[in-house]
Amino acid sequence: MKNIKRLLKNDAAKKILFFFNENPNCIDTAKGISLWIGGGANDIQKALNQLVKEGIVTSHQTASTIAYAYTNNKQIVKKIEKYIKNT
Amino acid sequence: MNESEKKEKQEFLIKFSKSSSISAFRSLCSKILKKSRCAFLDSEYKPVKYGGECNHLKLGKYLARIKSSFLREYMIFKCSCGKICLSFPIIQGSSIYGYVLFIHLTAEPKKTAVDSARICMDLALKEFQKEQELTKLYETIRPRAIALSTIHTIHRLLSSTLDMDELIERIARLTLQVMRSRHCSIMLLDESKKYLIPKAMIDLDKEIPKTDPKYKKIKLGLKLEGKVAKTGKSVLLRNSICVPLVEEDIIGVISAGDKTNGAPFDKFELEILITLAEQAVIAVKNAQMYEEQEKMAYASIKTLAALLDSKSPNTFTHSDQFVKMVLAIAEQMKLSREDIVNLHYSALLPDTGKFSIPDEILKKPGSLSSREYAIIKKQHLESLKIIEHLEFLKPAIPIIRHHHEKYDGTGYPDGLKGGQIPVGARIMAVANAFEAMVSARPYKGKKISVSQAIKELEKNKGSQFDPEAVDAFIRVTKKPEFENMLGASA
Repeated sequence: MKNIKRLLKNDAAKKILFFFNENPNCIDTAKGISLWIGGGANDIQKALNQLVKEGIVTSHQTASTIAYAYTNNKQIVKKIEKYIKNT
Repeated sequence: MNESEKKEKQEFLIKFSKSSSISAFRSLCSKILKKSRCAFLDSEYKPVKYGGECNHLKLGKYLARIKSSFLREYMIFKCSCGKICLSFPIIQGSSIYGYVLFIHLTAEPKKTAVDSARICMDLALKEFQKEQELTKLYETIRPRAIALSTIHTIHRLLSSTLDMDELIERIARLTLQVMRSRHCSIMLLDESKKYLIPKAMIDLDKEIPKTDPKYKKIKLGLKLEGKVAKTGKSVLLRNSICVPLVEEDIIGVISAGDKTNGAPFDKFELEILITLAEQAVIAVKNAQMYEEQEKMAYASIKTLAALLDSKSPNTFTHSDQFVKMVLAIAEQMKLSREDIVNLHYSALLPDTGKFSIPDEILKKPGSLSSREYAIIKKQHLESLKIIEHLEFLKPAIPIIRHHHEKYDGTGYPDGLKGGQIPVGARIMAVANAFEAMVSARPYKGKKISVSQAIKELEKNKGSQFDPEAVDAFIRVTKKPEFENMLGASA
């Protein structure tokens, strides 16, 4: 995982992380997530792809649907929680 | 006033003093009352701390003197330094929540100014109440709406597969994700309904192989899962949560254990797991029905194949090895599950089209005359009518019909070429030709070796055969399991 601060310079990525930190049980599509947090669906999709690459978000894919959820990695979650607390 | 009431009033006042409606009120009042400072006191006349303003004003010094004079109406008084101040009570229902003070006014306000400030205050309070109600509504509804959306997404993810193994694995993974747990297991009741059979077990830290003792069946009534399956009642423990999978009867259980953050499971999560289990049951039942349907379809096709075989063995059907070869090529070419099932049906009845072709033509060694070739074309189509009444075989008919087409368009019955030929038919053509070349059939030429047959296929790549299907077949021949596909034919 890259430096969180650098990653979160992207506004959409920041919003997604705040959202998942607040709703860790959530699984939703990019469109669904963009409805919860606002912002353009394309920007949210791009940010989600980046977060999946970084291992912060996991994707569940079928032929017709891609859904995203927060990582179960305890260390990553703790790091993000700490960052959000200090923001 | 008890402690909780006191706390509730205190919180209300803090939020009110920070709300956007109070900022508007303060700016209006600063005009009406000529540049005064504003502060808040709670119902016991203690300053409400927000940003240190009260400390700066040293309200405490004169509060003791004036507090007995506070009323339910506004009051104009002089503070310890002799300057004019104005106070309004903040009233909610019948109780006073606190006071708002305008300190160090430049002159004693006129009654009209006080009345205007009072009206502004009431408006600000009403606005704040609305804000509060909206916030409460948002805080109550939003998590539930997100949970509902999650369940809807899970439904979409689960309903997109009818493959039981894939489905069970997917349910387990999604449960692990939604419950934020370290472990998850799904167990289904066996036919006797006396044992739970573990179907999927997922651990966040390690893969659990099917040979692991954890995969041991559990007798109904034993362990947490067995008890839940017996009683049909969900169980919520600090570190475990288990819910029955109920259709009309109990069909199994789904359980999760140990949250990743070490927190205990709560009722909200139990609610989510129950809803997820309801979705899972529908998906499992659909997959079970599909499996049953598939079994019936295979049984019908095999019966038909056996009937055809009894007329003339090995004329209308091919070997099991041929079927395996066809399916292996399809997997190499990454065909969809639906396409593979249809191809499987076709491979079980590949030459139904020969049914009405006279034996003297079918078994004639060497090349055919144009008259014989015309008979084959006509009868091939006629014969396919045998199977067209079976609804589940309809998608397989184009594969059976066209597997004698050649890639360059010189085959039969329709002279299709390239991509016009169904992909299943192109695959069957490769496997069919290979099987014919390496097996010794009385009406065929001399059999050749596997490597010669492969060379032959390569030679005709792009003319007789689809190059992609030939390449996929060659990849299959390099796999260790290819030996088993050859069987007795080679």
